[in-house]
Amino acid sequence: MHFLKGLVVSLLPFAALAAKKPAADKFQQFHTKALSSTPLKLDDTIYGQLTSAPRDYSVAVLLTALESRFGCQLCREFQPEWDLVSKSWTKGDKKGESRLIYGTLDFSEGKMTFQSLGLQTAPVLLLFRPTHGPHASADTAPLRYDFTSGAPPAEQIHGWIARHLPDGPHPEVHRPINWMRIIAVTTTLLGTVTFISVAWPYLLPIIQNRNLWAAISLISILLFTSGHMFNHIRKVPYVAGDGKGGVSYFAGGFSNQFGLETQIVAAMYGLLSFATISLALKVPRISDPKTQQVAVLIWGGVIFVMYSFLLSVFRIKNGGYPFWLPPFS
Amino acid sequence: MADSGSITESFFKGSSGRNTRGLLRLTILSLIAAAAISSRLFSVIRFESIIHEFDPWFNFRATKYLVQHGFYDFWDWFDDRTWHPLGRVTGGTLYPGLMVTSGAIYHALRALTIPVDIRNICVLLAPGFSGLTAYATYLFTNEMSTSPSAGLLAAAFMGIAPGYISRSVAGSYDNEAIAIFLLVFTFFLWIKALKLGSAFWGALCALFYGYMVSAWGGYVFITNLIPLHVFVLVCMGRFSPRVYVSYCTWYALGTLASMQIPFVGFLPIRSSEHMSALGVFGLLQLVGFVEFVRAGVPSKQFATLLRGFVLVVFAIAFGGLVLLTVSGVIAPWTGRFYSLWDTGYAKIHIPIIASVSEHQPTAWPAFFFDLNMLIWLFPAGVYLCFQKLADEQVFVVVYAILASYFSGVMVRLMLTLTPIVCVSAALALSSLLDTYLTIKSPTEPTDSSADAVNGTTASSKKAEKAAKQDGLRSLSKPLVGIYTTFSKTSVVSALTAYLLIFVLHCTWVTSNAYSSPSVVLASRMPDGSQHIIDDYREAYQWLRQNTPENAKIMSWWDYGYQIGGMADRPTLVDNNTWNNTHIATVGKAMSSREEVSYPIMRQHEVDYVLVVFGGLLGYSGDDINKFLWMVRIAEGIWPDEVKERDFFTDRGEYRVDEGATETMKNSLMYKMSYYNYGALFPPGQAQDRVRGVRMPEKGPELNTVEEAFTSENWIIRIYKVKDLDNVGRDHASASSFAKGNKKKKTTKRRGPKVLRVE
Amino acid sequence: MRWLLSFLLLGLLSVVQAVSSSGNKLLVVLEDLAEKSKYSKYIADLEGRGFSINYESPKSDKVALFELGERAYDHVLLLPTKAKGLGPALTPKLLLDFINAGGNILLTLSSSNPTPTSLVSLLLELDIHLPTDRNALVVDHFNYDTLSAAEKHDVVLVPRPDAIRPDVKNFFRGDGKGGDVIAFPRGVPQELGNTSPLLTPILRAPRTAYSYNPKDEGEAAEDPFGAGPQLSLITTMQARNSARFTVIGSAELLEDAWFDAKVKRSVGLGGVGTDAKSVKTANQAFAAEVTGWTFNEIGVLKVGKIEHYLNEAGVKSNITNPKIYRVKNDVTYEIEISEYSWDKWVPFTPQAGDVVQLEFSMLSPFHRLPLTPTTTTKNSTIYTTSFRLPDQHGIFNFKVNHKRPFLSNLEEKNTVTVRHFAHDEWPRSWVISGAWPWIAGIGATITGWVAFVALWLWSKPVPLKLTTSGKKIQ
Repeated sequence: MHFLKGLVVSLLPFAALAAKKPAADKFQQFHTKALSSTPLKLDDTIYGQLTSAPRDYSVAVLLTALESRFGCQLCREFQPEWDLVSKSWTKGDKKGESRLIYGTLDFSEGKMTFQSLGLQTAPVLLLFRPTHGPHASADTAPLRYDFTSGAPPAEQIHGWIARHLPDGPHPEVHRPINWMRIIAVTTTLLGTVTFISVAWPYLLPIIQNRNLWAAISLISILLFTSGHMFNHIRKVPYVAGDGKGGVSYFAGGFSNQFGLETQIVAAMYGLLSFATISLALKVPRISDPKTQQVAVLIWGGVIFVMYSFLLSVFRIKNGGYPFWLPPFS
Repeated sequence: MADSGSITESFFKGSSGRNTRGLLRLTILSLIAAAAISSRLFSVIRFESIIHEFDPWFNFRATKYLVQHGFYDFWDWFDDRTWHPLGRVTGGTLYPGLMVTSGAIYHALRALTIPVDIRNICVLLAPGFSGLTAYATYLFTNEMSTSPSAGLLAAAFMGIAPGYISRSVAGSYDNEAIAIFLLVFTFFLWIKALKLGSAFWGALCALFYGYMVSAWGGYVFITNLIPLHVFVLVCMGRFSPRVYVSYCTWYALGTLASMQIPFVGFLPIRSSEHMSALGVFGLLQLVGFVEFVRAGVPSKQFATLLRGFVLVVFAIAFGGLVLLTVSGVIAPWTGRFYSLWDTGYAKIHIPIIASVSEHQPTAWPAFFFDLNMLIWLFPAGVYLCFQKLADEQVFVVVYAILASYFSGVMVRLMLTLTPIVCVSAALALSSLLDTYLTIKSPTEPTDSSADAVNGTTASSKKAEKAAKQDGLRSLSKPLVGIYTTFSKTSVVSALTAYLLIFVLHCTWVTSNAYSSPSVVLASRMPDGSQHIIDDYREAYQWLRQNTPENAKIMSWWDYGYQIGGMADRPTLVDNNTWNNTHIATVGKAMSSREEVSYPIMRQHEVDYVLVVFGGLLGYSGDDINKFLWMVRIAEGIWPDEVKERDFFTDRGEYRVDEGATETMKNSLMYKMSYYNYGALFPPGQAQDRVRGVRMPEKGPELNTVEEAFTSENWIIRIYKVKDLDNVGRDHASASSFAKGNKKKKTTKRRGPKVLRVE
Repeated sequence: MRWLLSFLLLGLLSVVQAVSSSGNKLLVVLEDLAEKSKYSKYIADLEGRGFSINYESPKSDKVALFELGERAYDHVLLLPTKAKGLGPALTPKLLLDFINAGGNILLTLSSSNPTPTSLVSLLLELDIHLPTDRNALVVDHFNYDTLSAAEKHDVVLVPRPDAIRPDVKNFFRGDGKGGDVIAFPRGVPQELGNTSPLLTPILRAPRTAYSYNPKDEGEAAEDPFGAGPQLSLITTMQARNSARFTVIGSAELLEDAWFDAKVKRSVGLGGVGTDAKSVKTANQAFAAEVTGWTFNEIGVLKVGKIEHYLNEAGVKSNITNPKIYRVKNDVTYEIEISEYSWDKWVPFTPQAGDVVQLEFSMLSPFHRLPLTPTTTTKNSTIYTTSFRLPDQHGIFNFKVNHKRPFLSNLEEKNTVTVRHFAHDEWPRSWVISGAWPWIAGIGATITGWVAFVALWLWSKPVPLKLTTSGKKIQ
């Protein structure tokens, strides 16, 4: 039995060699091609020979449909990231130590492949791990990356590939520096600075205007206290239709709301506080008794009605809220 | 002192009149405090004197430790009963203020030979401090306005505003209980120091700031608000020695004080949250220097030169700060704090933070629920602050804007908003009342209009001029007053009605929403009588009495503190979520197949697993509903082994019934939740009342754990982790043998023989 | 109860007897008491070693492994029976429960009467496989006994087994000189699954042996059940609770006939033993060893006291087994181990090339250290080691996990807490040279401030200057 083991052990390398011989230069030729242009533009035949076992190298193939007639938005979004990954990887290891080849198979060239794999959707990213050699993996089936959450950034793809090829170098992703953007930013910055320095004497009174600041702060407070941040974070709909064709302005339930709803509420708050302010500041400054009397009545009425309306709205949100004011009960 | 006979008539004299008013204020304040305290006692009266939901249980446990072992042991406390097997350097990772406070009270009472159970102190601490908070609010508001009524109103609001009650009812023994008082009082001291420009008040402010730091992580709010205030003042060109003295005193002493807390340590000079304070400190030095020089050298160009110099240096310093932050010398924002600015951040990067319910954004009903009519008096009050925009009013404005933003992003920060809302609402209301509660009406301008005009011209002219340069348009005309009694009475009566509604609202909210200790659930019977569901304590008591002293309990982190506090058993993870990986490990164990999770549980020496299951009772806060968070958190660490979308059907539904995915059905959490559940119902009738679905005919089977305990309403289920099989079989075949079905004899082998090698 | 019984026995026999380390109540299950005579010598040996033996037939209703939920016997010896099944008292589940309860079982098979199904399924549970055809037996055309099995070649002669690994203690070597043979007549071979770590064969078949079914006609057996060393003749399974279970392929091995039979080996591979002369079998001694091992008379380890204590700078603290240590403490760990051999506890020494190890582990071992024997008492060895705790606080285990074939399992776990540095255990600031500049800075600031204040207080203001400066300021 030991003898048997010995036999097997002594045989293994030969087998490996036998397997390696053709595969090695196969990798070399693809790699040299890749050095010139990566990811390789594949078609059915090349795809076939590239991914055919035995392989002692790994292949990452993106099956995509770039042509506009397929209307694959995701494909077009993802393509540049994919190119970035493959380029920086291939540049990162020219000698091909990681033994990884990047390829892109467009639907227009690879109908057969798509059918044989039974793919209905694109893009699909497949990672074939080597079937022979030192880094061989047990299962020969390719790994499939699922594009659940939109087009992933290059780093994410890189991480995924690196995770599944544990040994061998993992050249980092190098994003080319976006000069245009930098220039644009700097110019706008300088522009604003110059504008400010020129227009300073005109700006100064505006900046120092107390009413302006009061308005700004009041508006922001009203926004925040009427749940604007909630809309911003939860991306709530502006309005929603109720069952019977109409529009429901107030979302049911205590802890959700519509965009319009919050604006209505903000308006109510604003009106209420404005009425309060006028009662407190404006009215006592009216020198004519009649007008003052009327103003008091108006503003007091506004507050009363608005508050009762607010309470009734709150009763919609929170059933079983016992308090109310006439006229809205 | 006057003799007894003349007291009554000297009662109305000027000086003693003031005393009378003072006495009156005192009584009112004490009455307010009494109201504040008593309105927080609902939970004690309804249920019992018990510690509430989750974190308080840890604070309670820590307090007991402090009282038993003394301060030094508490300071160096290494807790080996949480985060097994890592343990937690508790003494260095908590805010000791709360525990120390109640410990001090405990010992003080002992010294007065009043033997009080520490639990009662902990339960009643929050209400007690709410009274103090009311008083602090009174002081703070008095600094803001001249009218004495404002302060009293603010105190009353603060006393009963639900926004504050929500975290300070009897039994919710949490940091916020004392922190809000400290917050308000620190602000009062700050305003005082700023007004007087005195180092003494500044030092006091720093002292209470230190106390605040020791009590609550929310101290960062102060750390950023005060510098912001000063910065705004400087930008408004209001730099003065007062600002300089008060701020520098506060910053120097306060920072030193805060660094005494082990948990804070060197953060004040190394983390971004504190950098604004440091930067403003530097800015003040610069400005102060420049002012000094300008005072000495009056040349105009030189002044501009200096201003430019200030700007440049400030810019450079700011750039340096940014550089340091990027290079990592200064720690970047901590996750919780960062998620305040980039609101999408937490959901992507730190699911743990996003998973906490009190970190959700606030919908408008919550605002109205927590501060009923104050919410619309609030902007009015802020507007009034613009009337006479002194330094303290600027503070109110800044505070108002900042706090309303934060409270909009996180529900729990409603707490920081409430004080300023109360204050400015009180300002608005008091100015209303002051205007409409004056007995004497101004004379009609119709009679002898001329001299009236002459009389008013001067003042009105001045007013006009004032309005021209700056000031609010609403103040452009001179103040006249209210003529008719009718308008006065109508307005005042309306306001009284609103106030009454407010009081009713607060009481209603407190009694209905904020007074249930989530440890004990109350439900209404069909006949309206109250029915107490006490499964939690039942289960924890079972653990306490039927498991060995150091049996490790694995559960989701929500229940860690309660298990530690009530069952007194070591837990793997708890509500102090400092170690994401460890939590993810538990998440993985819960969301994987038994074969995967068993080794994990062995490695962590888990003896019992505790799950919360609401299916029978319709208790929606159970683990199956939290399950996705476990999956997400685990996925964050092991993206290849746990995948969230494996738990969703192809149609993207999260199902637990027949249509649930295989991953879901095989996950340990699912199995433990529904194990034997069908046995309660006639066959095929099993119903999950939370998800509202019918369960599959055949329930899941468990091999590596065995059911140990299930509480009365099945809310808590406890499983014991089996030991390895004695004769070396895997659990599946062992249990199948125990069930009595024999192993198939392998008559024909396919493939080559497996040779045994030693 | 058990003690009482053994005392009674002592009084009865009034001679000092060896007793197994785990009680001496032995149940022998055999077809009928008449068969006892076949094994008289073997049984005499057992009684001589102090076992109190009950004989039961599987058919009788008195046979019960448990009474009132407790083990009724310490050991069970199952001799082959004709019955297909063993009846309700000896179901595989009961036998397994008996093992789980710490009882030892010695099971003997025989090719002459097929193995009961219950036993087969029990063996399957333990991952021991018997030939599919009921009465297969081991045949070897090179190592058979020419005297008794000249035709059938089914009495296999095997030398005493070697240790399965050089670093494993070998209890079945006899005097160790070797050369004596074991006759294995008409035995049932077993095959061991590859998964179970608890299985260990004592005796393997020779390379030229194979399992052969006399029923099937045709000389050459194609596709035999097994061949060569893959066939185990005597198999042991030591459960995790150190309960022992041994299968002896051939019950005849224990019979008197073979105890003192003379055997003459055939010509083996490469002409070994061409000039073999007939020798006496070593079955008796070998059977004694196998039985002794199965019934916990040899190869049983016991842990005496375990001590760990603070050992800072060579000073042994007198508090032993504290609950809590600090990181980077120097700690010493002591464990006392003794081994039972036939009738007494003796100091335990591991086989050459093997060591007892201590793990200091949290989740995974932080230290794995060899324990060195320091002192040896009359019947135990004290192993000890000293080390510095890792710089990591947490809940750690001192773990000694010594599991070796043929030795009962040692698994000792002592949990201690390792805490962090307390606030007053750090070096003071002035000890750290790096802190001196800052300390100097503090001093300078204080003195400077005091000096400034003094100057300010005691400097006489000059009125004229002040006013001018005051003018300047306005």
